[in-house]
Amino acid sequence: MGREKKDTGNAGERIAASYLRKKGYRVVESNYRTIFGEIDIVARLAGIIVFVEVKTRTTSSLGPPYLSITKVKEKHMIKNALFYLKAHRLMNASWRIDIVSVKLDQALRVENIELIENAVEDDYI
Amino acid sequence: MIAKIYSSCVLGVDAYEVTAEVDIVGGLPHFNVVGLPDAAIKESRDRIKSAIKNSGYSFPTTKIIVNLAPADIRKEGASFDLPIALSILATENVIDFSQLNDYIFCGELSLDGKIKPIRGALPIAMAMKKMGKKIFILPKKNSKEAATVKGIAVYPVSTLNEVVDFLNKKLQLNQEEMNLEAIFKRNSKYKQDFNDVKGQEHVKRGLEVAAAGGHNVLLIGPPGSGKSMLAKRLPTILSEMTLEEGLETSAIHSIAGILPDDKVIIGTRPFRAPHHTISDAALLGGGTNPSPGEISLAHNGVLFMDELPEFKRNVLGVLRQPIEDGHITIARVANTFTYPAKFMLIAAMNPCLCGYFTDPKRECHCTPFQIQNYLSRVSGPLLDRIDIHLEVPRLKYEHLTDKRRGEQSCEIRKRVDMARNIQNKRLCGHGVLFNAHLESKELEKYCVLEKEAEELLKLAILELGISARAYDKILKVSRTIADLDGKDIIEAHHISEAISYRSLDRNLWG
Repeated sequence: MGREKKDTGNAGERIAASYLRKKGYRVVESNYRTIFGEIDIVARLAGIIVFVEVKTRTTSSLGPPYLSITKVKEKHMIKNALFYLKAHRLMNASWRIDIVSVKLDQALRVENIELIENAVEDDYI
Repeated sequence: MIAKIYSSCVLGVDAYEVTAEVDIVGGLPHFNVVGLPDAAIKESRDRIKSAIKNSGYSFPTTKIIVNLAPADIRKEGASFDLPIALSILATENVIDFSQLNDYIFCGELSLDGKIKPIRGALPIAMAMKKMGKKIFILPKKNSKEAATVKGIAVYPVSTLNEVVDFLNKKLQLNQEEMNLEAIFKRNSKYKQDFNDVKGQEHVKRGLEVAAAGGHNVLLIGPPGSGKSMLAKRLPTILSEMTLEEGLETSAIHSIAGILPDDKVIIGTRPFRAPHHTISDAALLGGGTNPSPGEISLAHNGVLFMDELPEFKRNVLGVLRQPIEDGHITIARVANTFTYPAKFMLIAAMNPCLCGYFTDPKRECHCTPFQIQNYLSRVSGPLLDRIDIHLEVPRLKYEHLTDKRRGEQSCEIRKRVDMARNIQNKRLCGHGVLFNAHLESKELEKYCVLEKEAEELLKLAILELGISARAYDKILKVSRTIADLDGKDIIEAHHISEAISYRSLDRNLWG
């Protein structure tokens, strides 16, 4: 991955975390590594564990950022989340997956930010 | 947390209690329906989600498991939307389900929370007493038919909000009330009457005999001779429908979803005229989730098959058994269903391909081979079950312009009723109702011929080439004619009339 892309991603995640805090989420972890990949943000909101996927883009030539989340990626998110829950012995807790879609301009300033609650539903089990 | 709401589904002609159980568990938001649901129920989750949201309630963002018990019966249709939605609302404490053990809920939800009509409301209402339920909450459009059942309270609803407010005692709903007898009486008038038909007196007489003895009829005649018009009026001379029969027939129509809104309960004998392109499944009933076919919709009424030879061979083949049994059993992998199918068959056909073979005015241009071929499309075994063959000639000019009206249906019906009463008295111990269903043993016992009649029958068999098969039919029909006449012993003129109703046996053509 090029330097630039990584910068975009990191910037997006920072912006998303502060956005979520403002919304009342308590950020517990960021960039949590699992054997399947990475969870961008793990937060808590009203007793529910919320796993957040942050998607950042600087151009809109490919459409809004959240469009790039495919069924395969959703499956990965669920796997990652289950790994976290298992590791923390939280298998019976209520949890959900949200997506924060961040659109930045070329100078990495926020143009638009959007939170999609309950973005992923479990159709796989 | 678990919530339970009761609903019902129809299998065959009977309704069963179904419990919609909902459990809310922790985990990723998820909505699943178990308990052998069909595709319409599987899709219900999206309807329910939107309906709950758009009615102003919150949809739980947790794992939701819906179970439709008993789990081994296949469930179909969208009528479980309402009970499932209510169970979900109960887990959210919007309503208190513990008070709802006497309730049955049925209804399809639309995305905006409106409640849409369902199928089979009448059989469900009829089965509620057996289930021990007292209050039936269902879509407004179906409430009238359900309200005809006594001993239950029926509340029509049109939105999900209305149901919730009613259950929380915030809203008063009017109980639907129907006077079954009054509606039945109002509906028991026919639009047609036999006096609409001009001329064709011998055909009318033949139909009267058929109606009196429950004989199946075949009308043969050129196009435009009034076969369909006569057939359509056959129900009007059958004895009046009893309330019980009316409810049976209405229940089948309710399951098929074709109970007319304005009528509520069917009070006239049904007349079903399927097109000749019909498939065997549509005629008998069928499908993976079987629904009643035309013969069951004609239950307690008349099934009219116009252009009999044009029907597919297998369709005519499968018709034979239900004619004998009065019901049809449909066996599928998942289940076996039995629908009642007691109907009178009236068939119509042309004498040949072009239709004018028996017409004195117009020339027929069919070859003998073509005629033979056309007639052979109707199989012998099916013809075996048709006792009366009537030739319907083209109408003469004098008849067409005749201003006098014929006999009214109600007068013919009086004679039919009388003949049927005689039969009922005679046959009550044999498990049959009509002369048409007499077995050969009973035939011998009840068809006593006077000397002259015996001679005539002998002559007919020897001279007219009447088969042994036709012999039984002639006896049965002559029995009915004698009943119409009020005679115990069959006389010669009864026999001769009966012989005249067997034109296909007399090798008249072909």
